Amino acid sequence: MPMGHTATAQAGSGGLTATEHRLANGLRVVLSEDHLTPVAAVCLWYDVGSRHEVKGRTGLAHLFEHLMFQGSGQVKGNGHFELVQGAGGSLNGTTSFERTNYFETMPTHQLELALWLEADRMGSLLAALDEESMENQRDVVKNERRQRYDNVPYGTAFEKLTALAYPEGHPYHHTPIGSMADLDAATLEDAQAFFRTYYAPNNAVLSVVGDIDPEQTLAWIEKYFGSIPSHDGKQPPRDGSLPGIIGEQLREVVREEVPARALMAAYRLPQDGTRECDAADLALTVLGGGESSRLHNRLVRRDRTAVAAGFGLLRLAGAPSLGWLDVKTSGGVEVPQIESAVDEELARFAEEGPTPEEMERAQAQLEREWLDRLGTVAGRADELCRYAVLFGDPQLALTAVGRVLDVTADEVKAAARAHLRPDNRAVLVYEPVEAAEETDGADGTDAHEGADK
Amino acid sequence: MEYHPQPTAGEARPWAFPAPERGALPNGLTVLRCHRPGQQIVAVEIFLDAPLDAEPEGLDGVATIMARALSEGTDKRSAEEFAAELERCGATLDAHADHPGLRVSLEVPVSRLAKALGLVAESLRAPAFAESEIERLVGNRLDEIPHEQANPARRAAKQLSKELFPATARMSRPRQGTEETVGRIDAAAVRAFYDAHVRPSTATAVVVGDLTGVDLDALLADTVGDWSGNAGQARPVPPITADDTGRVVIVDRPGAVQTQLLIGRIGADRHDSVWPAQVLGTYCLGGTLTSRLDRVLREEKGYTYGVRAFGQVLRSTAPGSSSGATGAAMLAISGSVDTESTGPALDDLWKVLRTLASEGLTDAERETAVQNLVGVAPLKYETAASVAGTLADQVEQHLPDDYQAELYARLAATGTVEATAAVVNAFPVDRLVTVLVGDAAQIAEPVRALGIGEVSVVSG
Repeated sequence: MPMGHTATAQAGSGGLTATEHRLANGLRVVLSEDHLTPVAAVCLWYDVGSRHEVKGRTGLAHLFEHLMFQGSGQVKGNGHFELVQGAGGSLNGTTSFERTNYFETMPTHQLELALWLEADRMGSLLAALDEESMENQRDVVKNERRQRYDNVPYGTAFEKLTALAYPEGHPYHHTPIGSMADLDAATLEDAQAFFRTYYAPNNAVLSVVGDIDPEQTLAWIEKYFGSIPSHDGKQPPRDGSLPGIIGEQLREVVREEVPARALMAAYRLPQDGTRECDAADLALTVLGGGESSRLHNRLVRRDRTAVAAGFGLLRLAGAPSLGWLDVKTSGGVEVPQIESAVDEELARFAEEGPTPEEMERAQAQLEREWLDRLGTVAGRADELCRYAVLFGDPQLALTAVGRVLDVTADEVKAAARAHLRPDNRAVLVYEPVEAAEETDGADGTDAHEGADK
Repeated sequence: MEYHPQPTAGEARPWAFPAPERGALPNGLTVLRCHRPGQQIVAVEIFLDAPLDAEPEGLDGVATIMARALSEGTDKRSAEEFAAELERCGATLDAHADHPGLRVSLEVPVSRLAKALGLVAESLRAPAFAESEIERLVGNRLDEIPHEQANPARRAAKQLSKELFPATARMSRPRQGTEETVGRIDAAAVRAFYDAHVRPSTATAVVVGDLTGVDLDALLADTVGDWSGNAGQARPVPPITADDTGRVVIVDRPGAVQTQLLIGRIGADRHDSVWPAQVLGTYCLGGTLTSRLDRVLREEKGYTYGVRAFGQVLRSTAPGSSSGATGAAMLAISGSVDTESTGPALDDLWKVLRTLASEGLTDAERETAVQNLVGVAPLKYETAASVAGTLADQVEQHLPDDYQAELYARLAATGTVEATAAVVNAFPVDRLVTVLVGDAAQIAEPVRALGIGEVSVVSG
């Protein structure tokens, strides 16, 4: 470790190892032993996400992920959930632009059950998939969309930003939740075809991490997954490459019933897996991560023009990554005032680069985030799958923190100079419109109560 | 593919919730420590006996502003310097005020624990509470309020508290204050609250993580050991009462595409012997997507992304406290349903409750619930932060240090009949206050038709 301020001598890889295997049907397997706690995490990444969806069928990958919990050849109805939870395990699945993942964390002695369940649906989902599940989960997903995006202030901001930052027709132009119209249009045949195309052992990586006997685990994996036939139905995803910068400032003003004005922006950044992406991550952290960042100090502490100001990074491997600026204004402050302060800070940063103290802080923050992620068996299993699926090498997960600590201040400055500029962003401005009912304030002045801690 | 029969479980490896070591520093600070091998991120939870009830009349929110101000500068460092030093440790520090008291939560890689704990000690011992920083925090808090107001789940929670508790009770009002009360808070008020309620003799620090090679005694002595204060005085603890007359309050949101539901009342806390049965029964009712509520509302009808039933302790009192007051938990069902389905969803929800009351839980349901609640413990407590959080909860709820460990044994010993009785008692169909944040013009009539209580509408 070159930086001399790592949390532990072996931070990130800290004694962790992983072995790689491949079944005859193409299923890649990653195993990592850790006997501190009697638990084992199973994680299965399918190399399919919303970027594989076609026009008119946005949201299908995610809707399909729901259908994976509706039973398979030997598992009835909600049996997958019932069996895992009844065994003292926890489980879920998620869908992003680039992948769909399914995971179970089990008490060690129930590991075999999780493998059996994952294999059953990988090999025989279509034996159970029917119209009833399809109709039901379509309604559930539409309610998920309403709850998480449509019925929340600024809830669709991310969707609008990606639509601006990635042009029409680009595989990342739409987000995984999809549109209501497309969710309505999806058919059972679409779901069946989706399974036949993308759900194959040779399009997946399985990781098992924790209190495991690797030989026994591999034998179980061979037993349950080994007879699932591979197939090559999958077409490569549409090309996600784009010029390094947008080349102009894109802009959309949203007039909606929101509590305050907001300035958001998406910057096009280097792809995940590159040193430049790590440098950009550090730049965004110095500028907008935590409570000692430049934007927080400027807008929230000194100017007092914002309630909150920060940057987030969406790392993408198959298209440029996305840096997301989010500033909510204070009181009656207008957006142009915020925007010129942000521009000033970004320009100054591109000119000066980070101070040594800022580099140290940013690297310490990112290092802690990595330790957090690798500190649980489930987090480690997910990262191993991520690096195996997106970059072909799970070992990279164990050394990722070292790469972040290896980046220099000059590289951070170069990343900022190249990417954090006005002609490389899509800007989204929120201007509140008043609802007639919200004007009196008599009952509208209180803060929340937290029954949902 | 070749089918294989469902495998059977192997032999379980024993696991127990960790037992902390309890001690005290010369300044009176209670310390709980717990070594968790492999957990490189250490979690420190500090509980301060500064409950919301102690906030002076008309200054709701002063505990929150004080909590936030703890990390905004000390006698040695400005607010910006403090934040920068803390982040240089790779640490996160959160502080928040709630009914039982104030919690300060630190997470930091173990290699930088000494430095970070030194900063936390400084913030407890000598916070600056500079006027300009307090002004800024007050302004920031006032700006947050409309955002919370706009969030359907938070708006529902606020309304439910207002409905349940008498207007004179602190619990009826927002934890973090209103625009009116927060606007009155200044540096002097924050300092006075600190002087009155923050001292080591009534505080507890919980330290959890891989402490291999850490001389924790020396580290504590050098950091929080320096903090001093007087003995403080016991405060009277007011009883918690609630009006759970069955009724419906709609918080009007014209045009909302969903209705946020929050249906609740108060019930037993962890000191009550019914707690394990209540946990078990509540899980069977609405703990997960295969529980009774989601089996119908989500997996059969598709009305929702998910509805959950839960019990969350509001505040507990020490057993045998002089006031005789007991603690209470909020018992509630929450979720959101599409606007059109609001009436049918509530109708089904009440049917689920009535069926539960008339037919009870099945042995199979009880068995699955026990297996899950007990079985997930090693997963749930893998990180230092989760262990520290539970230990600190026990402290603030006046529970013994082995409470959680014992709870698992009690859950396993709870039968179907007891779990049924507890959950039916917790969610009686005619004693539930229902808050709906949604489009009154569309949902009021269908909800009135259900006969689940008088329906009133308030503005959003």
